[in-house]
Amino acid sequence: MFSLASALLLAFSTNAQQVEFEEYKLDNGMHVILHQDNSAPLVTVGVMYNVGSVDEEDGKTGMAHFYEHLLFTGTKNIERGKWSEIQSARGGSGNANTNWDRTYYYGTYPSNELKLGLWMESERLLHPILDQKAIDTQNEVVKEEKRQRMDNAPYGKIQYGMIYKHIFDNHNYGRPLIGFIEDLDNAKLEEFKAFYDKWYMPNNAVLVVAGDFQKKETKSLIKDYFGTIPARIAPKAVKTIEPERTTEKRVTEYDSNIQLPAIVLAYKTPSMRDRDAKVLDVISTVLSDGKSSRLQKKLVETKKKALAVFSFGRPLVDYSVYTIGAIPLGETTLDDLINEMDEEILKLQTELISDEDLQKVRNKFENNFVSSNSSVEGIASSLVSNYMLMGDTQKINTGLEVINSITKEEIRAVAKKYLAKNKRVVIDYLPASQKK
Amino acid sequence: MKTNIFSIITFLFLSMSISAQVDRTKMPASGPAPKINIGTPKKFTLKNGLQVLVVENHKLPRVSVTLDIDNQPMAHGNKSGVEGFVGGMLGTGSTNMSKEDFDSKVDYLGARISFGSESAFASSLSRYFPEVLELMADAAFNPVFAQEEFDKQMKQSEDGIKANQKSVAAIAGQVDRALTYGKEHPYGEFTTLETLKNITLQDVKNLYTKTFKPNNAYLVIIGDVNFKDVKKQVTSLFSAWKPGVITPQVLPEVKNPATTEINFINMPNAVQSEMAIISAVDLKMNDKDYYAVLLANQILGGGGTGRLYKNLREDKGYTYGAYSGVGANRYASRFKMSASVRNMVTDSAVVEAMKEINKIRYQKATQQELDIAKAKYLGNFVKAVERPSTVASYALSILQNNLPEDYYENYLKNINAVTLDDVQNAAIKYFRADKARIVITGKGIDVLKNLENTDYVINYFDKEGNPTVKPAMTLPIPAGMTAAQVVDKYFEAIGGKDKVMAVNTTMIVSNATIQGTPLVMTRKAAAPNKSSMVISVMGNAMQKIIFDGTKGYQEARGQKMEMKPEEVLEAKAVLAPFNDASYKMGKLDRIEPIDGKNYFVIVLGNTEVFYNVKTGLKAKEIKTVKTPDGKEIEVPTTFADYKEVNGIMFPHSVALKSGPMTLDFKVAEIKINEGVSDADFK
Repeated sequence: MFSLASALLLAFSTNAQQVEFEEYKLDNGMHVILHQDNSAPLVTVGVMYNVGSVDEEDGKTGMAHFYEHLLFTGTKNIERGKWSEIQSARGGSGNANTNWDRTYYYGTYPSNELKLGLWMESERLLHPILDQKAIDTQNEVVKEEKRQRMDNAPYGKIQYGMIYKHIFDNHNYGRPLIGFIEDLDNAKLEEFKAFYDKWYMPNNAVLVVAGDFQKKETKSLIKDYFGTIPARIAPKAVKTIEPERTTEKRVTEYDSNIQLPAIVLAYKTPSMRDRDAKVLDVISTVLSDGKSSRLQKKLVETKKKALAVFSFGRPLVDYSVYTIGAIPLGETTLDDLINEMDEEILKLQTELISDEDLQKVRNKFENNFVSSNSSVEGIASSLVSNYMLMGDTQKINTGLEVINSITKEEIRAVAKKYLAKNKRVVIDYLPASQKK
Repeated sequence: MKTNIFSIITFLFLSMSISAQVDRTKMPASGPAPKINIGTPKKFTLKNGLQVLVVENHKLPRVSVTLDIDNQPMAHGNKSGVEGFVGGMLGTGSTNMSKEDFDSKVDYLGARISFGSESAFASSLSRYFPEVLELMADAAFNPVFAQEEFDKQMKQSEDGIKANQKSVAAIAGQVDRALTYGKEHPYGEFTTLETLKNITLQDVKNLYTKTFKPNNAYLVIIGDVNFKDVKKQVTSLFSAWKPGVITPQVLPEVKNPATTEINFINMPNAVQSEMAIISAVDLKMNDKDYYAVLLANQILGGGGTGRLYKNLREDKGYTYGAYSGVGANRYASRFKMSASVRNMVTDSAVVEAMKEINKIRYQKATQQELDIAKAKYLGNFVKAVERPSTVASYALSILQNNLPEDYYENYLKNINAVTLDDVQNAAIKYFRADKARIVITGKGIDVLKNLENTDYVINYFDKEGNPTVKPAMTLPIPAGMTAAQVVDKYFEAIGGKDKVMAVNTTMIVSNATIQGTPLVMTRKAAAPNKSSMVISVMGNAMQKIIFDGTKGYQEARGQKMEMKPEEVLEAKAVLAPFNDASYKMGKLDRIEPIDGKNYFVIVLGNTEVFYNVKTGLKAKEIKTVKTPDGKEIEVPTTFADYKEVNGIMFPHSVALKSGPMTLDFKVAEIKINEGVSDADFK
C-alpha cells in the first residue's frame, strides 16, 4: 500500500534535479550513504572499496581486478559456488567492476530482500573464502575475460586503456587494468591474502543502500551487519608523480582484429576532482558529441575523411586521460587526420566558442544527468563514486552547476593548457597485418 | 481514456519467518512480499491507422518517443543493405531544413533523434519535447534522399564492412544467422560489398515509399508529458501521413540439419573461438509451453546460475561466460547456446555444452533449480517495472503478438505454474541437440585437429556463409629457412655446436614399466654410427639391438637375427651419438601447430622430425613403418623434460608409442665420453 501511495506522491514532485541522500559513519569507520526512493519495490546494496589496479605492487599486478572475481566464491557462511544461486533464488542480481582507482560490488533485490543483500555484502567483507582452489578457477576465467574483451575486440586496446603505457612512464595508470598475466600466474595464495588484509576493511569502504526501504529499520540492520566488523589499520595509497611531457611522442600499436587503422591523440589531464577535468568534458562534447560537433561535422559529414571520430576523457583520481581519435575513410592518411584534428584544437585554443555552442553543451549535460539517475542501481553507483572518487557525495547534485558555470574563456584557457602538441602522445593504431 | 488503472500483482514468495536477532550464520529470511504495480498506457488511434500509446510518468523531466512500423520482415536479396540506407538517410535534414541545421538543432536541444528503416526514436528533456517531436515528424515525412549523402553513406558502409572483416564476433554472428535461417530469409541475409554495389539511390527512395506507412505503425510516448497536450500535437503532426498498400511477404521455410553437425568458419586472427549451438524453433509468446521454455532456458544457460556458466566458466574456466537464449518471434526464432572459448579447449567446450543440453532434455531438473529460475523471473519482473518503458513495451507486445489483455498480469502466475515435467518436455521439444548446428568461428590451425575427434561431421564455410574447403593446417615457412638451419638451431639450443661435436660416446639408462613390470633400457652410442640398445627385466637382457658400424644383429629371448643388407644400410646412415646432423639432408616441410605450440617439421625418408619453433628443442620423431601384413603405421617417439648434463641438454622423458602401447622412459643416468667401449657393440 505504501509504495502505491508514494508512487502517486512522487508523480507530483518535479524536483528531479536533486538526488536526496543521507550519509554517516559507523563506529568502525565505514561510511554509509542512504538514498530512499519508494516508487518501485526495489533496493540496491553496494559496497565500494578504495582499491584499484593503481594500488598494486610491481610484479603483483592484476590483484585488484582478480579480487572482483574471487569475492564471488563464497564466505564462511555462504557455501562455495552458491553466491549467485542464493541471490537469484530471492529474485536478486548483482555484479562487480574494477577500475584503476576502486572496486565496486553491488546487488539489486526486490525490496523485501534488503536484509539478504546487507548480509551478503557484509559476509563478503568479513570473511570471504580465499583458497588455492578459488584462485586456480578464477585465473582461467580472468584470462578468458582478457581474450574476449581486449585481445579479440577490434580497437580493444583503446577502449580498455591498454595504450596508457605510452602516457604514464611512472604512474601505475600505465599498467593494464587487468594486470600482467605472468604476475597472476606467479601469485601465491599468501600474496592474495596479504592484498585482502591490506585493502578490504570497513574503514576503507563505503556502503550504499538505494531504493525502497525505511530508514530507521535499515540503519539498525546496517549497524548489526556491518557495524560489528572490526576496523583495521587503513592503508595509505601512494601517489606517484608523473612528470609533464615536454615533447611529442609518437608510437605504434598493432591490433590483429582490425582492418582499418585509427589515429589517437592522447593527453595526460588533471584529476577528475579538478575543475579543469570538467572543462575538458565540455571540450570533448564540443569536439565530438553529436552530428553537429566540430570533428564529426568536419571529418565525417563535410570532408568525408573519417569513418568515425571520437574523443573522451577517462576520469581518474590522480590524473585523467583525454583521448581524441579518428578512423580514416577511403584513402585518407593518418597524418592528414592529425592535421585536421590539430586545426580544430587550435581553434579551441585561440577562439571563443559561440553562445549557442555553450548552451548546447549545457543542454546535453542536463540530459545526461537526468538519464543517469533513472534507476536506483545507477543512483547508488553514482552516489558512492562521488563520495569516494570526487571526494564529496554532494557532487552528484553540483556537477551540473559546475558545468553551467564554465565560461568560454575558461574553455580556451584549458584547451591551451592541456591540449598542447608537446604534451601529447600520438598513437598510430594499425592493423597487425601492417606489422613489419 | 480517463482511466489509469493500476493492475496489482501480488508477489508470490514462499516462506517468511522473521528472526529477531542477527545471526550471521543463518541466511536472512525474506520480508513481506512487496506489491508490483504495472500501469496501463493511454491509447488512441489516428484515422490513417497509426496507434498511439502514452505512458505518463513525471518522476524525471524527460520524454522519449518511439515510432515502430510493424511490417512483416522483408528480404532484400542482392540489394541487402538497402534498408540500412533508408534508416541512415532519414534524419539527414528534410525538405524544410538543411542537414546542417537539423543536426545543430537536435544537438543544441541536447536531444537524440535516430531512424531505422521502419522506425524512429527521439528523447529529450521534457521542456524541449514538443520541438523535438516536430523535428522527428518533419524528418520522417519530408526526407531529402540527396545523392551526396547517399554517396557518403555508401563509402562508410563499405569501410564498415571492411572494418568488420577481422572481427571474429561480427563474422560469427553474421554467418550463424545465415546458416540457421538461410541466406534468402530476411533474418539470414546480410550486407556485403557485392550487395552494396547493386544499391542505387532510387532503390532507397522506392523502399521508403513502399514501406514507411502508418498502416501497421505504433507511436509510443513515455515520460513527463500531459496526455491531452501530446494527443493534440500527435494528431496535428501525424494525421497527414498517408496509408499505403503493404505487400504480404512469403518467408522461406527455416530448417534444421537432419543430424547435428559442426559448421566451421576459419579466422586465422582469432585468439578465442566463438562457439554456438543453434537450432531453429517455432515458438510464440502465446504458446502453452512458452513459460516452460523460458524456465528451461534459465536453468540451462540463464546468467550466472545457469548450468552452462557453472560448468564452462566456474568449473572448467574455459570461458568468461557461457549462456543460452531462446526467441519467441512471430516469424522465426532460434535456440542458441553461445560462448567465447579459448582455442585449445574449443572441442572440450563443445562436448561439455552438448552434455548440458542433453542433460536437461533427458533428465529432470531439480526442484531447487526450478525454484531459483522462477525467482529470477520474479526479480527481473520487479526490476523491469521500475522503468516506465516497461509499461509501454508490455502494452505494445500485447498488441503486436496478439496476446490477451491480461497477459502480463498473469505472467508471474503462469511462470509459477510450470512443473519439472513441463521443463523437460520444453527442453526436448525446443533444445534440439540432435538436430543442431554447432557453429564455430575460430583459428582452424589451432582447433580443428581436436574438433575432428568429436562425433560430428564438420562442414566448412567462408566469412559470407558459403560452403568452402577445410583450411590449410600448416603455417608457411619463413623465406630462406632450411632444414640445416633448424638443426643448427637445435644444436644451439642444447648447448652449442662445439659442445655437441665434442661428444664421442653417450650412455643413457632409462626406466619404464610395461604392464606393471619394470624395464631398464641402456642405450650406448659412439661416433660415427655405432649403437647398442639393451632392454632388461630384473637384470636379464630381454632384447638387444647392436650395430658396430658395418654389421649388426637383433636378439630377442635368446633368438639372434643378423641384420639384413638393407637394415645395415639404414643403420649406417644413423649418426651417433646425435643423429640430428643427418636430418640436415631432409626437407623442411612445414610449420605445424600442435596444442598451441608451433613446430618445424623435417621430412627425411620415412621419418618426420618436429623441432619447437620457439625453443629450438626436438619434441618428436615419427617413423612410418610397414607391418608384416603391409599396413603402414606411425611410430612416434616424443622427447620432453630437457635437463642439462655436462653442459648439454638431454631429454629426460622419452615416450615410445607403438600401436596402442606407450612406453614412458624416464632417464636415470647419462654419461658422456665415459663408460662406453668397442666391446659394447660386439
